[in-house]
Amino acid sequence: MTPTRKGTIYLSEGDVEKGVLDFMKQALSQGCFDAVLIPTRVSAGDSVAYSLIRDEALLEGASPLPPIMPVQGARAISSITRRGKRNKIIAAVVRPCEARATVELAKLGQANLEDIILVTVDCPGVMPLADYFRSAEDGDKTFRDASETWDSEPMRPVCSICDKFSASGAEDLHIGTLGAKSGTMVLIPSSGKGESVLSKLGLSMEDDISSWEGGVERLTQERKQKRNESHNGLRSEIEGIDRLLESFSRCINCHNCMRVCPICYCRQCYFDSDKMKFNFEDYLTRARVRGVLKVPTDTLLFHIGRMLHMSLSCVSCGMCEDACPMNISVGQIFSLVGDRNQEAFSYVPGRSIDEALPLTTFEQGEFQEVEQSHSVFSVKEKQNG
Amino acid sequence: MARVLRLSKSPERGVRDMAKFLLENGRVKGVLTLREVGENGAVGYSLISSADELEHARPLYPLMPVNSGKWLSLLTLRQAATEPIAVVLRPCELRAFVELVKRQQGSTDNLLLISSTCGGVYPLEMALGDNVEANLAQYWEAVKQGEVIPGIRPACKACDQFVPYTADIIVSLLGNKDIDRETVMLLNTDRGEKFVEGMSGQFAEEAIDSAAVERIRSQRETEKQRLFDEAEIRNLGIDELNKAFSKCIGCHNCSKVCPICYCHLCFFDSEASEHDAVYYATQLERRGSVEAFPDTIFYHLVRLSHVSTSCVGCGMCSDVCPASIPLWAISLRVAESVQKAYGYLPGKDMEEGLPLTTFRPEEFAAVG
Repeated sequence: MTPTRKGTIYLSEGDVEKGVLDFMKQALSQGCFDAVLIPTRVSAGDSVAYSLIRDEALLEGASPLPPIMPVQGARAISSITRRGKRNKIIAAVVRPCEARATVELAKLGQANLEDIILVTVDCPGVMPLADYFRSAEDGDKTFRDASETWDSEPMRPVCSICDKFSASGAEDLHIGTLGAKSGTMVLIPSSGKGESVLSKLGLSMEDDISSWEGGVERLTQERKQKRNESHNGLRSEIEGIDRLLESFSRCINCHNCMRVCPICYCRQCYFDSDKMKFNFEDYLTRARVRGVLKVPTDTLLFHIGRMLHMSLSCVSCGMCEDACPMNISVGQIFSLVGDRNQEAFSYVPGRSIDEALPLTTFEQGEFQEVEQSHSVFSVKEKQNG
Repeated sequence: MARVLRLSKSPERGVRDMAKFLLENGRVKGVLTLREVGENGAVGYSLISSADELEHARPLYPLMPVNSGKWLSLLTLRQAATEPIAVVLRPCELRAFVELVKRQQGSTDNLLLISSTCGGVYPLEMALGDNVEANLAQYWEAVKQGEVIPGIRPACKACDQFVPYTADIIVSLLGNKDIDRETVMLLNTDRGEKFVEGMSGQFAEEAIDSAAVERIRSQRETEKQRLFDEAEIRNLGIDELNKAFSKCIGCHNCSKVCPICYCHLCFFDSEASEHDAVYYATQLERRGSVEAFPDTIFYHLVRLSHVSTSCVGCGMCSDVCPASIPLWAISLRVAESVQKAYGYLPGKDMEEGLPLTTFRPEEFAAVG
């Protein structure tokens, strides 16, 4: 097979994390960037947090491919870039879905990617927080074993049906491990920024990376099928207002799904605003309509409102599901809705920074079938016919 | 001596019947209580205005999907109740509501407050499927014996405030051997007495047995000390805090479900709490590294300082924490010391001013 992309085969020692860290250290010391934003083990050792690191020695504590995603990396990038810039080039090592969410946030004006080099690594998924936090030690082992064999069983449900676990176009530089020969990683530049890192390091970009490409292609097809099957099954469980209501019946209205979502960036959600506080008489009137009013009110409306607002940019990262205290399959439901909405607009969130957000773009020719089926003219035509 | 109403049916049935009586006789226009809300066993608070809908009510179901004190605040925030409403809630929910009312976040006008001696609630994670349902028999047996109930929220195991203070009607549950066939309701206020007047049941003047309450209280106290040890929060120095909050993901859900945290916009969600490029660059220069979200412990400390005078130990914070941090223990431990220092028990007395709004010339002489 002939490779379709440019890339470098990079010799690495030890496991993936060590390989990635060695490469990042080399690039940092060669001045390819000024600092690295990367998940780092907290001092207690039982979690990771995004840290911005300038000193090569401090990178020792970093964990480029941790077993969990306590915070979506896009939020970390947004946090350090949204309020001004200092002309320091920062390489951000994030997972593919975090890179895609970052690109969406940049389009929404919530992150500035000018001085950011997005680096992603082939992603085996992350474990649900609850599973990992039961015992970090056991979690580390489970994750290590599963990622070696690309077994997605212990991972977040949305990770096990993720078909965008590799280079997606969002990143500047991708590090491929899937299908790479032992003792090697594949470095794939996806932008001018990525290429300049590799050329600064004097690495050729003409290596044969077809073995990685083949590995990615195989797993992508497998996952696509799995995603389809899972979505079809889920669809029959949630379709229609009654089933949807039932799916969210346990919701306690805490809105934590929204707060950990990388796309939901509003400082004040409409559903937390004064607009959703009513007079006592309004509540009682609503109760009288059916004899009963579930409180807090409008829980399903919140989820539908959120879907409308973020589903075109939803990257199926699964943060929402991990943060839900009621174990609602909110991540899987949103990934299904997201896929369908995105398909309607032929939009893939995070694929390219140059691709405008669907709702900000008007195309004359689009959705003619919707126009036709709903126009007054066609209704009249049908009546006459 | 206290005024008591006895009904010859189990308490859940008894409370439901009383609610029905109140609705049907127009004494209240609505009942706020737990109710089945889905086919898969979900239970949530509902405002019920039709007596027929009470069939699905589960007034004493051992689950707290939201601290109803918080929800009652929302119900009466913009406008006090214009019609009488009966509310069935747990002692800690009632205490939280009282604290909110003191903060002008709601009103008790027109509310008939019905509470009970409380065995506690199961953690929210058990709300899946029929997990709670499957444990109900065991739950009520332990309530009857006045024992600490296995599997309930740690905050509930450690709770020594299981007798409500400001309720109009108190359903006696803990240590009541006859709860399979009898509902015993203490008519705690004239108001409570007036609302149930004419209801078919046995009214009597009885002496209250406080020995059982004391026995349960000391059991819970022992359990609390054990749980504090288990959570390793005896000394909350900077190292312990670092360790306790190391897993925090910064979602702030503890504050969102907390009945006392009522701020519309928390400082830590505000623009003022965000760091600019200069901050990150300076820290990077000074220390070689900086966390993307550096204020995790700061957030928790500020929250503790804001809520600790009024924390009622309901345990909502722990229950929704995605990182399972024993927040209830940390909060309660701090709250107890703060409340002791001020001689204040949150939710005990509506007339008692909030400690920080009350100045006494003689207090804290030791501090200066």
